[in-house]
Amino acid sequence: MTDIIISHPAHDPAAFDEFGCHVYAASPSTPDKLTPTKRFFRQVSSWNVTMADGKSVPFWGFKDPNVSGSDSPWPSKIIRVNVGDIVHCNMKPSKGTHTIHWHGIEPTPMNDGVGHTSFEVKSEYTYQWQASTAGTYFYHCHKNTVLHFEMGMYGILIVDPKSKTKKLYDPEEGDKLGDATIPARYPAYDAEGIWCFDDVDPRWHLYDHDAGICGEDIGMDRFEPKYFLCSGVPSNKTLTDSRTLVKAKAGSPVLLRIVNASYSELRITFPKDVLVAEEDGRVFRTNPLRGNFSKPFWTRTLNLSTAQRYSVFLDAPAAGRSCDVKTEFLHWCDYNRVQGTVTTRVLGT
Amino acid sequence: MKRRSFLKRGLLSGAVAAGAAVSPLGLRQGFAGDDDVLEDILDDFEGPEIRLDIDDVKLELIDGKRVFMWAFGLHDDAPTIPGPVLRLEQGKTYLFEIRNRSTSRHSFTIPGMVSPDGLAVHVELEGKDDSDNSRKSILVLAKDCGAFLYQDALNAPIGRVMGLHGFCVVEPKENITVGNGNIPYPTSVAPQAVTSLFETLGLEGSVFPGNGWKAKSDREREWIFNSVDPRWCDRFEQGQVVSAGEATDFKPRYFTLNGNSGYDAAHDHDCVPTGTIGQPLILRTANAGLAWHSPHIHGNHVYEFSRRSAKGELRLHDNIREIDTWTMPPGEIAELLLPFKMPPDIPLSKRPPNAQEKFPYSFPMHCHNEISQTSGGGSYPMGLVTDWVITGPYKG
Repeated sequence: MTDIIISHPAHDPAAFDEFGCHVYAASPSTPDKLTPTKRFFRQVSSWNVTMADGKSVPFWGFKDPNVSGSDSPWPSKIIRVNVGDIVHCNMKPSKGTHTIHWHGIEPTPMNDGVGHTSFEVKSEYTYQWQASTAGTYFYHCHKNTVLHFEMGMYGILIVDPKSKTKKLYDPEEGDKLGDATIPARYPAYDAEGIWCFDDVDPRWHLYDHDAGICGEDIGMDRFEPKYFLCSGVPSNKTLTDSRTLVKAKAGSPVLLRIVNASYSELRITFPKDVLVAEEDGRVFRTNPLRGNFSKPFWTRTLNLSTAQRYSVFLDAPAAGRSCDVKTEFLHWCDYNRVQGTVTTRVLGT
Repeated sequence: MKRRSFLKRGLLSGAVAAGAAVSPLGLRQGFAGDDDVLEDILDDFEGPEIRLDIDDVKLELIDGKRVFMWAFGLHDDAPTIPGPVLRLEQGKTYLFEIRNRSTSRHSFTIPGMVSPDGLAVHVELEGKDDSDNSRKSILVLAKDCGAFLYQDALNAPIGRVMGLHGFCVVEPKENITVGNGNIPYPTSVAPQAVTSLFETLGLEGSVFPGNGWKAKSDREREWIFNSVDPRWCDRFEQGQVVSAGEATDFKPRYFTLNGNSGYDAAHDHDCVPTGTIGQPLILRTANAGLAWHSPHIHGNHVYEFSRRSAKGELRLHDNIREIDTWTMPPGEIAELLLPFKMPPDIPLSKRPPNAQEKFPYSFPMHCHNEISQTSGGGSYPMGLVTDWVITGPYKG
């Protein structure tokens, strides 16, 4: 029908192969190594997670090899550091090669955990970075990410402020007050909820670690989630499970950290306005030293595409009353199709 | 055919196709049969011309598979997907001449742009077999600055997804200086937040040490995301039609950035932002496809300062988010500033030049809806990904 071909230049076969199929793997020493102020250990592990219908689905993740039973929670154990910390995380893949990418954290390429721009970890590597900015992040494997992320290889990462109080961030010199910044009652919080939403297509959970990366069609373009969870809790238990139910003294400030770890668009609806205080690890604030271009805002709905994070503040409801938050999972190609819903709760005490 | 008769045929056929109100310059609306008016306009018009062709093509994908698509190309140049970036100067009027050499009917539309009399830019073109009606011309006024997505909107959004799309960037007539650099919008229309962002660039003691942003330089990149459903390509190749109502049955298997995927995108100068610390760069990102994308950039957060909806409505932000991931719904354009800052989580005492890990620093940008990191049902990361590179320290 047409003889016009839009072609691409021929690849260097070796470089092409290393970009995707056979990524450079190594176990180097950490360059520019410092003495850490926070040290973590992670090892790749696997376990099963129970879904809403009682079925058990295989998952992969990171356990702390020094803590017995640390492979039972999913998502993987939270990593929490303070601004200024020199962070080390020793990672042992134990099964094939893997990496840890510190999503939203910006270290050197060697410590960024991306195979094609650095290396995949063969037997062991100690990642190093220094926490610069308080906020909500997560860490995940960046090898064959489409599969490994779906298989659950991630955990929440929180950078707390230097002050080490229950606070989203420390106000800085020059921060403007009033409407341009977060009200004085809020940077601190009494209760914190960490809601990490995910969807699961059980078909994907039967693959091997390297499935699909060398050109074979295993249907990675088709993702049809059957299960919907929040912070590892299936949708039928999110109103009561301690991992998702946030209890707070009536009227006290509550901080909700919200992460989209699904392959859906999330539409989150709150019963009343909440104050959006942070996105992707950056606080909304107005400060002439940083530029007068950012400020917190009130909203009743939030939309998150994959890997976005928000932190919102609200006041806890009256004792015995609840604030129920609806999260809808919208199909990534058919936005009007709601594939599943999860409801989470803040309960006043 | 001489240029004059080429134009005349296009303009007159536009009148037949549209059959709408008389309009002295909005050529889509036609001339109600008044050839003298047409002649006068052609005689008077001495502005710049942009001549685009539409062709049936085969696009070679990252795994070597070739699929049928449509493509824009500058007249007598090879067609490309996306079409060439068209850079216009604010205030000027351009004569667009569109020639459809495809066997299918198409249109040419620029949502958000207008003709000199303020009407939408839109012409419809028959296939090449109906040569009388396969050529159209239209005057386009570069009234407002910003990024636009020219496209085929005849069977929207199918034509756009099938390859007929490209960036049209309207730049200020003269570089507008704020702080130590330029700003891509006149300060009369830019909200305080946008002006403040560009003013802060390069200010000593600010979070952006280095240079201001430099207009009309290499400090910008255009990224168009698209996705390919080979079933649709096959149907069009066989002469069938995919209707707009079938958009909900879109099942993409290939994902591109400026027509490239994976390795190709990461090795293409036009895709890869490159520079030293302190050389901020504007990213203009558009989603021509139907999947919702979630681009995530490593190494630096970016600052989103504008959105243009699929309908062409521009919103310059009065609250600028510093983000590492942004949402790209189908048809939308987002403009972001990539500051080229020193990655902030490198330990303070181990930054170049006193470091073992040397420049260049390469970081990826990829869609975090990781399904789009694949091609043909596997082959991670041969989908919507590219790299950006910090080549060295700030050089002043």
